[in-house]
Amino acid sequence: MSGPTDDKLIRVDMTKQTVTVEDFPDEWKILGGRALSAKLLLAECDPTCDPLGPDNVLVFAPGVLAGTAAPTSGRISVGAKSPLTGAIKEANSGGNPGQHLMKLGYRAVVVTGQPSDAEKRYGIEVDGEGVRVVGADDLKMKWNYATCEALAGKYSKTASFITIGPAGEQLLKGASVATTDQDNRYPARHAARGGLGAVMGSKGLKYLSVDPARARVRQPADKAAFGDLIRNYTKAYQAGPQMFKEGTASVVTVANMLNTFPTRNRTSGQSEHVKALEGKRIIESFETNGGGMHNCMTGCIVQCSNVVHGEDGEYKTSALEFETITLLGANCDLDNMMDVADLDRLCDEMGLDTIEAGAAIGVYMDAGEMEFGDAEGAKRLLREVAEGTEVGKLIGNGTLATGTKLGHKRIPVVKGQALPAWDPRPLKATGVTYATSPMGADHTAGLIVNPGAQPEEYAQLSQEAQIVNAVCDTSGFCQFLQPTLDDIRAFYGALYGEEVTREQIADQGWQCLEDEWEFNNRAGFTQADDDLPDCMREDPIGPMNLVWDVPQEIVQAAKKRLPAREELFAGRATG
Amino acid sequence: MPIVSVPPPYRGPTRGEGRVPVEGATVRECLTAVDVKYPGFAALVLDAEGAPHGFVKLFVGERALTQDDLDDPLLPDDELTVIASIGGG
Repeated sequence: MSGPTDDKLIRVDMTKQTVTVEDFPDEWKILGGRALSAKLLLAECDPTCDPLGPDNVLVFAPGVLAGTAAPTSGRISVGAKSPLTGAIKEANSGGNPGQHLMKLGYRAVVVTGQPSDAEKRYGIEVDGEGVRVVGADDLKMKWNYATCEALAGKYSKTASFITIGPAGEQLLKGASVATTDQDNRYPARHAARGGLGAVMGSKGLKYLSVDPARARVRQPADKAAFGDLIRNYTKAYQAGPQMFKEGTASVVTVANMLNTFPTRNRTSGQSEHVKALEGKRIIESFETNGGGMHNCMTGCIVQCSNVVHGEDGEYKTSALEFETITLLGANCDLDNMMDVADLDRLCDEMGLDTIEAGAAIGVYMDAGEMEFGDAEGAKRLLREVAEGTEVGKLIGNGTLATGTKLGHKRIPVVKGQALPAWDPRPLKATGVTYATSPMGADHTAGLIVNPGAQPEEYAQLSQEAQIVNAVCDTSGFCQFLQPTLDDIRAFYGALYGEEVTREQIADQGWQCLEDEWEFNNRAGFTQADDDLPDCMREDPIGPMNLVWDVPQEIVQAAKKRLPAREELFAGRATG
Repeated sequence: MPIVSVPPPYRGPTRGEGRVPVEGATVRECLTAVDVKYPGFAALVLDAEGAPHGFVKLFVGERALTQDDLDDPLLPDDELTVIASIGGG
């Protein structure tokens, strides 16, 4: 029993536009996604480099289980030194490119260098015949949907795409990397955070195409055990609460109740417009406008992705997520779901992180540059990203850039990255994650929605959540499937026919965090950077007037490995 | 005495308490009893019409309850588990 063998790693030198393919080390077989990206970056990328220069290293790494028949397991990580934070960054996405790379046996694509002519655009083609760098000047400054439409006309129907929009091409620090979904090959999934689209743009790379053609699903070493796991896991999931079957937007109502629905640049935790922004408005729109729920990748059993149509019945966007509704909606004081859907589509078109863009527009409004609630003004700002105007670049460069330029005091960022919706004032253990995560403020790094947690629990809860989510983002499983460490190690065991112990899987998560922290240390980050912004201390939220008041000794305790409790192995990944 | 298991997102009102023993003969009575002890809890579970919010699921043991089951009796050894959406996007 051996499981998948003869895996490869692709290296692309964008200075010379050359490709080499090498064997993937067997001892790395349960390394994928985030942990693989961290290991490669620590070994091969100078942490002090210019993130938009030739020395940055850009990694595309599917999770370990991608390309297998394991449910909801095809996510792909994108990693590099972040131009937004100056720290290491991993952001991951659904869609089909991760599945397709792994079906072809490619565990990662590592992109280095930079073309001498910054005006040139390139694509990387990956298929059963090999890997090639090709010219893509015809796609220059095309919006993401038009880019994917052009690519769909050029490549086989079985191909999927990874692209950037005008934000990435202009090297804006809030730029995302888009991946195409399984149905229509729309660029609706995004490895959004940290400006990795700008790193892709800095390498002249407009797209990757991945065509698996008739490549087979990856075969496990122990087919019977792997099949049993799939059947039992799927059955148990479908018998459970299936919290995301109406999309992550269903969380809006409870988030508002818990004072973690940031409104008007986080000056309130509740929105007066919550009824208009509840997830059920999207579900209701399916009846009148069309659209519905679907899965973003092949083999997904969560099916949390909504397809939102406009009142004209035409496709508008996918997926309209809780974070997007919060940051582009409530945080800008909007009161209409279709306006938020328009803004989401514009972000997807530009190739922008909706969290960063929403937070930046919130700061812009809070600074008096635009009225809160001005939906048309917000849309205009996003269109100006494509036009390359000064204000377009300002918003595209993110929240810190916007607030700093305007001399505004309330800038909700950690390590330069905007806070997500989940607010660290009512959710203080989550605040410990924001402070200590190598990623900056990132709910997918370790979300703990437990407003009743006690101060002595914060460090342990945060550390456990960070380990579980690091392992999940290494596996290819979606966090919305909510796998445990025991689930993941069971799948690995059946895939390779070798037991993976609890100690091994916990060590993998911790090692990933240590690799990332070490990268950041070498980049010049210190303990002083592990903190939340002043506005979280000074601006109270909710009826209890909650502020961020967690002392540094508790924050730093999350970065010292604590003894493993049963909760570490039973705890579910959550993002 | 039945026990109501409180999900982490709802432990603000219960001040961190995860399992609350209550006097109550039905599902609804037990939820109300938690609210009497910890005001604000019931609004997180039930909407203005008294039905569970769409993002809340209730279980007795491993049996999933529907909206029509709120007046079902609970035995003294029963555990009523409240599950709520805990993340998202």
